[in-house]
Amino acid sequence: MTNIEKLTNLAVEVFLIDPSEFRRDLRRDEVGTWDSLGVVSLAVGVQETFGYHFTQDEALSVKSFADVIRILEQHGIPFDEP
Amino acid sequence: MSETARTQSILVEGIPNHIGSLGSLWDADDTFAYVASKSAISREWIADSLERLPEPYRIGHFCLLTSGSTGVPKLVIGRKSRSEQLVKVLHDVQQSEAVEETIVSLPLSYCYAFVNQWLWSRVYNRRIVVTPGLSQPNVFLETLRVARDAMLCLVGPQVALLAQMFGEECFPGVIRVHFAGGRFPQEKIPLLKRMFPSALIFNNYGCAEAMPRLTLRRAEEAEAASDIGRPLPGVRLKTGGSGELLFLSEYRSVGLVDDAGFQAIADDEWIPSGDLAHCGDNGRWQLLGRPGEVFKRYGEKVAVPQILATVNRHWPGQIGYYRDKDGAGEDGYVLVLCPPPLKDQLQLLFRAFRTSHSRTHWPLRIESAVSLPLLPNGKVDGLALRVAGDKFLHWRQRV
Repeated sequence: MTNIEKLTNLAVEVFLIDPSEFRRDLRRDEVGTWDSLGVVSLAVGVQETFGYHFTQDEALSVKSFADVIRILEQHGIPFDEP
Repeated sequence: MSETARTQSILVEGIPNHIGSLGSLWDADDTFAYVASKSAISREWIADSLERLPEPYRIGHFCLLTSGSTGVPKLVIGRKSRSEQLVKVLHDVQQSEAVEETIVSLPLSYCYAFVNQWLWSRVYNRRIVVTPGLSQPNVFLETLRVARDAMLCLVGPQVALLAQMFGEECFPGVIRVHFAGGRFPQEKIPLLKRMFPSALIFNNYGCAEAMPRLTLRRAEEAEAASDIGRPLPGVRLKTGGSGELLFLSEYRSVGLVDDAGFQAIADDEWIPSGDLAHCGDNGRWQLLGRPGEVFKRYGEKVAVPQILATVNRHWPGQIGYYRDKDGAGEDGYVLVLCPPPLKDQLQLLFRAFRTSHSRTHWPLRIESAVSLPLLPNGKVDGLALRVAGDKFLHWRQRV
């Protein structure tokens, strides 16, 4: 499974969105279930799925999945996979 | 009292000719206990309890075993004359004159079946057809097929099994279908009307201490499963300080026996039904859940029955749940589906949770089981479900 597939599954699981709704640029304000507990859930999910623990600033700065991808790529987790 | 005499006052359901014996015990003066063949309570404890009843309760009464809302077994003592009076009230409000027979699919020692079915059949001299219920589907199916002007008393969890086993069948000989003993399967009314096209469908509400009925409503009268309608004649309802539903009833039990011994129930004593409820401006009562089913999670009130109503609208199978805590120690619940859901079905549930409920209302986990453990009265056994080892995890919250 590619990292983008893992992130898609995580988004579905944490925010209960349909898989077809997931986009890399999907923003927090477009997802009604991306509430404060959702922020925590996403951070826990990222750690469990990718082994990276968001810092507090990173967790609070995430406004879209593009932000999640950017942070993970900065820590050596690639999303531009073949 | 000799050992022989003591055991004679306990009738065990299912022994040969137990229906005949039940009639004899009802006609006799002595108080008796009627218990299921499988019971967590020893016959010795029941015999001792009967023996210790105060003198006024040793004549003209009967005892049934219940765990009620607390899960703690106790004997509930009813007065025969009161229950016969309730049966007459029920006969009128349930429009039972046209009913010629009653088909039993629940343990008769269960208060609901005992009064609604056995005692009714006795008072009105109607036929009682005792079946093994859904534990032997073929026998039950054949009974339903040949039913004539029959009354059927069910509990909600049986509907999914009925649909699964013979949902394509139609039973025009059943003219009354009653529900009690748990959540009313409001979402399954279209299915029930297809299966029982001649039947009036009723939601009965009560508890063992009420012996057992408090309210009644036709299925069509309301859209919410939590709507239990209005009190029966002779019944008064109110809520206590914590929102608990309290009742006064002319037909209620007169005492209880538990490990603490015998406790009489005074005529003017308001008795908790075990549920939280409120009365609307229209005089109709709405259940909010049992105290254990309503809790706070991250400061937000969660009423599990309301959430299960959402699940019921989108899930055709059986539903169970048990309480648990998340990693932060916050209260929550685990939803258990039976049979295991398909991916699309799970996605439908996700959408329903997402659009109808905030995150705090979502289950901690969604699990499935091949079968749900049931209590003898047909309700899901939440304690057994919690420890069942053959559950499969489909989804979980990450907090």
